[in-house]
Amino acid sequence: MIEVVKAPPFATVQDLGWRTGRAMGLPPGGAMHQTLLEEANLLVGNPPGFAGLEWALGPGALRFLADATVCVLRDAAVRVEGEVQPTAALCLEAGATLEVVPRGQDRFLYLAVRGGIDVPPVMGSRSTYLPGALGGHEGRRLRSGDRLPIGVAPKPALQSYASTGAASGAAGALVLRVTRGPQWERFDAAARSAFFQGQYTVAPASDRMGYRLHGPAVRARETATLPSEAACPGAVQIPDGGEPIVLMPDGPTVGGYPKVVVIIRADLGELAQCQPGRLVRFREVSLEEARAISG
Amino acid sequence: MRGDAPPVLPLGEAAWTVVLGDTVDPELHRQVTGLAERIRAANLPTVIEIVPAYAAVTVFFDPLAGDPNVLREELAELAATSTDRPTAQPPALPSPARLLTIPVRYDGPDLAQVARETGLSGAEVTRRHAAPEYRVYLLGFAPGFAYLGDLDPALVLPRRTTPRTRVPAGTVAIGGAQTGVYPFTTPGGWHLIGSTSLTMFNPAREPAALLRVGDRVRFEPAG
Repeated sequence: MIEVVKAPPFATVQDLGWRTGRAMGLPPGGAMHQTLLEEANLLVGNPPGFAGLEWALGPGALRFLADATVCVLRDAAVRVEGEVQPTAALCLEAGATLEVVPRGQDRFLYLAVRGGIDVPPVMGSRSTYLPGALGGHEGRRLRSGDRLPIGVAPKPALQSYASTGAASGAAGALVLRVTRGPQWERFDAAARSAFFQGQYTVAPASDRMGYRLHGPAVRARETATLPSEAACPGAVQIPDGGEPIVLMPDGPTVGGYPKVVVIIRADLGELAQCQPGRLVRFREVSLEEARAISG
Repeated sequence: MRGDAPPVLPLGEAAWTVVLGDTVDPELHRQVTGLAERIRAANLPTVIEIVPAYAAVTVFFDPLAGDPNVLREELAELAATSTDRPTAQPPALPSPARLLTIPVRYDGPDLAQVARETGLSGAEVTRRHAAPEYRVYLLGFAPGFAYLGDLDPALVLPRRTTPRTRVPAGTVAIGGAQTGVYPFTTPGGWHLIGSTSLTMFNPAREPAALLRVGDRVRFEPAG
């Protein structure tokens, strides 16, 4: 059992989300940076898809009521009983208090505990979907005083895993690789050039549903929206104003804005980690390249 | 688009979108649901989920489970079959469209304003809203939110200029040529004309969403 001694400003239980549900309007959800949650799980000997905590916006403290193995990724200062810990993966004794302070380069931290956070699955996932107040711990962000059950770890422990470690450097623009979206043909050479030559800043109005980008406007040939059709996390929508909106895991499953490109799955987590004001730019890859990278 | 092979477009690494048209129209939507049903019946091995919309069907798949380009060709063939030769094969429809009735109390906060803007009486707004048999075109916006059409042309109004930050679950609303029921308490820009006691989305139910694409729906004035 984990007791939330001091809840961080924004923490939810997340796993890898819902495999199906889009046909009834349920977004895939799950961790904003899925590979980081997977990595944290592997470091404590869990299967990659176990539920952990997605932690943002500030410090907090947890007490572990039984011995536990935990891992916090990436850019955080971690203290146990007040002592700074040098490693990401830690063995805690029963009663220990773990303090986590985001250092700020990563927007989301991931905390995995051996055995996983064992909240009841909803429709097959332990992820929290805040707009529907469902899943996770009572369908909401954590509050001080909450108690979270820890599940049973598989035996024997999976092999430890070499971490890729460091957060992406803050210098320069983050390059996001994209494939052509379904409405690519609605954008002429000038619009595509504006999009790929331009740099965009991540706007403050960005959350688990979508990230807004400020930068060069991209205009479709026809401004009219299309009859709503399926969208997906990573889809870059161009509303009439021309400033892109990137759909994130809790974003709408359908939409009527043209989707000029789709960010490859391997890069979407790094966009999720961008703090407001971070510069990003785009580079086209083929579907085959994208699948080879993500696979 | 009849006669041309419908395009199969990529939506990222793990989805293909088959485009059958670009309008909101019941006949086109029947082609959409027919194609979705054909794809489902074909039981293609890498397919995870099929999402029919107004004018397109999107197929999400596992790109590691098989060759995505093979799936693309299979989808193109199924799409060509459903548009080019509508009579060559009867449409596979093992689950005929269901008809559901949603009881509504027409007590919404915007009913009077809708009456004013349409020039109708409140009773006439209610009558015209409850008269048609609607079609579920699409689920989206929120889990279990069904876009129902077509609304009586006399009730078609633009969305509210300022969306509400909080529309209670179970609210029946109209927007543009459509109507729907809010499954959760969410922000919303439609005109609120009533409420229902039915639960539109319940994660503990199987399936969780009360409505699915292709269903027929009636509203019945209650209490």
